[in-house]
Amino acid sequence: MRPPKETRPLLIGIMLAACLLAAVIMAISFGSSDLPAADVYGILKDKLFHNGTGIAAGTWTRPQFQIVWNIRLPRVLFGLVCGGGLSLCGAVMQSLVMNPIADPYILGISSGASAGAAWALLMPLPFFAGQYQVTVTAMIGALIASALVYFMAKAGGGGQVRPVTLLLSGTAVNAVMSAITSLLIYLAKSPESIAAVYNWQMGSIAAAQWTTLPLPLFCVALGFLIFGLSGRKLNMMMLGDEDALSMGLHVRRFRLIMFSTCSLVVASLVSVTGIIGFVGLIVPHIVRILAGTSNNKAVIPLSALLGGIFLVCADAAARGLFGRAEMPLGIITAFVGAPFFLYLMARKRDGGSSG
Amino acid sequence: MNVEFKDIYVTLGYQEILHGISLTGRPGQMTGIVGANGCGKSTLIKSLFGIVPVKKGSILLDGTECRTMTKKELSAAVGYVSQEVPCIFDFSVREIVEMGLYARRHGRKDGKKLVQQAIEKLKIGHLSERSILTLSGGERKLAFLARTIAQGVDTIILDEPTNHLDIRHQLDIMNFLKKSGKTVIAVLHDLSLAAHYCDTIYLMRSGACLAHGTPEDTFTRHNIKTAFDVSGAASRNSEGVVEFKLNLD
Repeated sequence: MRPPKETRPLLIGIMLAACLLAAVIMAISFGSSDLPAADVYGILKDKLFHNGTGIAAGTWTRPQFQIVWNIRLPRVLFGLVCGGGLSLCGAVMQSLVMNPIADPYILGISSGASAGAAWALLMPLPFFAGQYQVTVTAMIGALIASALVYFMAKAGGGGQVRPVTLLLSGTAVNAVMSAITSLLIYLAKSPESIAAVYNWQMGSIAAAQWTTLPLPLFCVALGFLIFGLSGRKLNMMMLGDEDALSMGLHVRRFRLIMFSTCSLVVASLVSVTGIIGFVGLIVPHIVRILAGTSNNKAVIPLSALLGGIFLVCADAAARGLFGRAEMPLGIITAFVGAPFFLYLMARKRDGGSSG
Repeated sequence: MNVEFKDIYVTLGYQEILHGISLTGRPGQMTGIVGANGCGKSTLIKSLFGIVPVKKGSILLDGTECRTMTKKELSAAVGYVSQEVPCIFDFSVREIVEMGLYARRHGRKDGKKLVQQAIEKLKIGHLSERSILTLSGGERKLAFLARTIAQGVDTIILDEPTNHLDIRHQLDIMNFLKKSGKTVIAVLHDLSLAAHYCDTIYLMRSGACLAHGTPEDTFTRHNIKTAFDVSGAASRNSEGVVEFKLNLD
């Protein structure tokens, strides 16, 4: 028997939380040198609760500890933050523009970040070098692009931001930013840096370390808080501006807050990871199907959970499936995402509920 | 609540849609807005919620200019049932009705009670857990009307509430509104329904008011000819009921 409708999201939440723990342990034990899950659990427990006395006792070696605590754990945590953040923003965007195929990148964030990253990779500025510069320029590019999309939509809609004008200006800005990236690649002389841009665009969380974690973690936590408290308002937005307005929602102000938060969250992620597609698109849909409702009070927290699980597993697959060579994460998520997307369209044609 | 539109001008793009139109709705009365397609009926009622910007004129709710009210204050006073709500995502009827509580102060328990009362008032208890996507147009309309009841307003404004509905649902909605005791302002296309149910009718033509008053006074042969280019009129029959008759030729 199916559980009653109100308690169903809660049950799914508890199940997903359990899956999340399992996925974290599994993903840490998985990789170029496999570690038994029991050891992973032991090392984590030891470090967290006994301040790492296990090495001295000889239960495991220092390299094992290094792999678990300093290499794989930050990466897995970053995967959680990244998958959760992208899925959150996907759910919010779909509600705001009332379009089931919207994703976190419709605000031009991905292409803006690409252009910024390409700039740093192809013609690096002299002052602060390396990975850090790529992150900063990607973030600036993402924020510029999303601001551009918003204000173009506003100008195009005669002072009002409508879902359709927003999608259109997003497409336009995406095209311009892609053109900038292409131009930079065209002008670049060294094949190595061109390869670096391509690699960046395919998306990966390999750059994750303890030091790259705090900013994205802060932004995603902030987003989770703001979106989590806006469930009812997001529901109202799903019925259109007119209805939301007549129910007393300050539509313009609310939309601006949601967009700014989304672009901050996604920019903080994309600037570190590159473009990881399809997560933000499909996870909210899976959640709506599982929970049997589009109610954002349930969809928002569940999307964060499932998105985290999905990305951690996809990253484990990217690291482990093809021997020692690591696959870009964007390829894995797209391979899983595209068939699912087709399935969604088929469901829509049958008069299903999520299209 | 007394609703007064005073000399409203609305411009969209470079086109002036409304040229100084006035309208009054009174408590316990049903006011109909009637006119040919594109004459500005929907624009007029949308101007109250700020969905379309008013260029000149004022809209008063019991004497208070509605543009000085916050969105929440306004929505606590006036409810709106739009012509067509895009139902893209999956919500149950109960979830839709619950959204009406947004502007209302209430405890957790009271909220549930208010929603249940609204659902029962419109006799849609059997639909309450159904997804809005699986409902017919008429059932959806009832759900959205229930939402305005949960909103706790004493004025309801509706844009073509009987559109696409079968005759049973049309009468259900009109009877409900008539008996609600609220200030009701509705854009209507069916002249027979308008003549039968409305206390006052505003007949519009290209952004202005052609005539207003009781159905009998408004739906004269001359006015109907001017507004719609068809032949017909309202009259009181032998039982004293106002009826609209269309002459088909």
